[in-house]
Amino acid sequence: MMNEYDIKELLRDGGYIADEAIATAVFLALRMEKPILIEGPPGVGKTGLAKTLSAVLDFPLVRLQCYEGIDEGKALYDWEYGKQLLYTQMLRTQLDNQLSSAGDLRDAVERLASEESLFFSQNFLVQRPVLRSFLSEKRSVLLIDEIDRSDDEFEALLLECLSDFQVSIPELGVLEAKQKPLAILTSNGTRMISDALRRRCLYLYIDYPEAEREVQIVRARVPAICDELAHQMVGFLRKARDLNLRKPPSVSETLDWAEVLSILHVSELTPTVVANTVGVISKHQADLQKVVELAAAELG
Amino acid sequence: METIITKFVGELRREGLRVSPGESLDAVCALAHGGLEGRCSVQALLRLTLVKSANDMEAFDRVFERFFSSYPEGMGIDPAALLEEAIVTMEGDMLGTNPEMVNENMSLAGVDAGLGPEDLQDLASIKEIDLDQLDGSEIEIRLKDYQGAMAAPRPSPRMPQNPVTMAFKVPLGQKREMIFTAEELEAMQDAVSRMMLRLKKDIRRVKNKENRGKIHVIRTIQKNYRNGMVPFLLELRRKRKQKPRLVVLCDVSFSVSHASQFMLLLLHTLHNRLMDVRSFVFNAELVEITEMLSTAPINTMLEAIDSGDIVDLDANSDYGKVLQTFKNKFLDNLRGRPAVIFLGDARNNYNKANEWVLDQLREKAGYMLWLTPEDRTLWQRGDCLIDTYGAYCDRVEVVKNIEELNLIVEDLFRNLYLEEEHRSRRSADAVEMEQDDDYRSYYSRGGQVSTPGLDAEGRSHW
Repeated sequence: MMNEYDIKELLRDGGYIADEAIATAVFLALRMEKPILIEGPPGVGKTGLAKTLSAVLDFPLVRLQCYEGIDEGKALYDWEYGKQLLYTQMLRTQLDNQLSSAGDLRDAVERLASEESLFFSQNFLVQRPVLRSFLSEKRSVLLIDEIDRSDDEFEALLLECLSDFQVSIPELGVLEAKQKPLAILTSNGTRMISDALRRRCLYLYIDYPEAEREVQIVRARVPAICDELAHQMVGFLRKARDLNLRKPPSVSETLDWAEVLSILHVSELTPTVVANTVGVISKHQADLQKVVELAAAELG
Repeated sequence: METIITKFVGELRREGLRVSPGESLDAVCALAHGGLEGRCSVQALLRLTLVKSANDMEAFDRVFERFFSSYPEGMGIDPAALLEEAIVTMEGDMLGTNPEMVNENMSLAGVDAGLGPEDLQDLASIKEIDLDQLDGSEIEIRLKDYQGAMAAPRPSPRMPQNPVTMAFKVPLGQKREMIFTAEELEAMQDAVSRMMLRLKKDIRRVKNKENRGKIHVIRTIQKNYRNGMVPFLLELRRKRKQKPRLVVLCDVSFSVSHASQFMLLLLHTLHNRLMDVRSFVFNAELVEITEMLSTAPINTMLEAIDSGDIVDLDANSDYGKVLQTFKNKFLDNLRGRPAVIFLGDARNNYNKANEWVLDQLREKAGYMLWLTPEDRTLWQRGDCLIDTYGAYCDRVEVVKNIEELNLIVEDLFRNLYLEEEHRSRRSADAVEMEQDDDYRSYYSRGGQVSTPGLDAEGRSHW
């Protein structure tokens, strides 16, 4: 049986450097079959964790991107009207035969009603991500991304799915999950997630990593960067995060920057290098100036 | 082990964290899984299962530190070790058993001698509660049971006062505390978000109606393409959605500054979420702060106001001059019939009243509201012009604390949205009704707020 150290190793093999909290959360989610709700600033690897897990555990990834106005037709299931219509058309002669022998109207209606379930069967059901991950033969990673973008109604809709791993369809009844997927919900905290949903999940807050772990992340993802430069980069970016920027540089920016520096064959950070590549680490005009000033003060 | 966890959860609750019985059960479960085989850190396990918000992390760590350093009380054993030990003792029972057994509490019975069979019964029964189905009272009773002999929970230090009843504190002497503490900000955000929730229902209803119009033929055909053009799904023409507009003028002179602060904070929170707000502050002169409100943090702005950087605070307030400025600079480019709110005591220091500006403003505004922190009995005394100004407003209200302010603003929003709906319906009928309402008849003398439905919890301190 895997323990949390194995998971840490496993994630490392997939290029994801996890700390103890992350590894423990994944371990518990696998063992207790509970969803994980991950919060944290953008770009610290919330979605990345799900992707990596899907890769290293060999669970297919089923992704549901939330947006304002998402509903059950987009997330759980939908009926395929067109196909239903087509079948009705094609089966018309059959139906005629069936009904022609009917004595009166009442009889005909009864016969038709007895066949009704045909048209509301799984044949005509379009599986949307949540249902698809429940009904797949193999255990999957169900990534519900940026849940804070959806509305309250959608959150309420997820409650049943996430606590009991089942989907109720009025026409068909309750569909239970064949395999309980490893559900991962991410949120950027733009909206408070309701307590009801929080209660059903393990709660994991991923913050900006400590310096040492961030260096490891850089080394793992961009091996071309030498150790010294990685330390220098990470040190600089950590200072930049304290600048009270509108969008502080995140881990994803660190990696982008490392990539850029390795393409440019930079071996040491200087104010000029920072000024030339500042667009990679800060994404607001007001922030650019501050970062360049910091570079001049720190590295000059 | 359950007793330790239960006590720990009790500690957390006293610190103001909301931990449900279900979560404590999760924690026990997690310890059985992680502690037994994985040997994960106990703190990490408990944090994952018991804490559900990033804001609570710090409090959790503090309680964890305190609780597990004080737990044995004279026994001289390291409590973390105690917990480990309990886990190790369990290991013998647990290895080879199904992890599901933990829920049954069977193998755990012998572990902790202090745990009677009744306690286990309790713990087991707790699992069956569906929290969403319960009302507060029952869960409270259950929680009490669950906590056992624990003392009644003290009010948490993190929420020193009920946010909605927090009164505007009259500043002491000349020293004014313009800055909000983190708790006050949090409490205010909390109050506002609850208000938003209440409003949301009304707004959604209005919006749904808004969308109900004529069929958009092209869109309907496009949408039903895969259904062979059979219009199963209708696409309706949407009416232009428009956020209601609001113009707020806040007096920031010494006499009303305490109320203005809360008004500004309220606006700051609401800005862009529900409506377009243009905000002004004035004392002897008038300054627009809309831009600042949306960019700067609230405390920075309050500091700027407080230090007199924006408007000179040493001058006496002059409503007449302010109205004149408003007329000259802003009146012509007011758009979309905004609702106008004045917040001030209308003490004009015997300057010119210039109430004719209000008459003109009246033509541009959809609704006018005057809020004053002063009691009705004081209106006739001294230099107060509220009767003069009030005659031009749809309503004059007395606000003394956040709850009153919240209720009034909530009421106003609801009216605004309803009016929006009303207006769109009218224009759909394409009948321009002659509206000859005499606005003066709207002038309500009662300080009573027409009360929107409010949860019992919020009402209790009214």
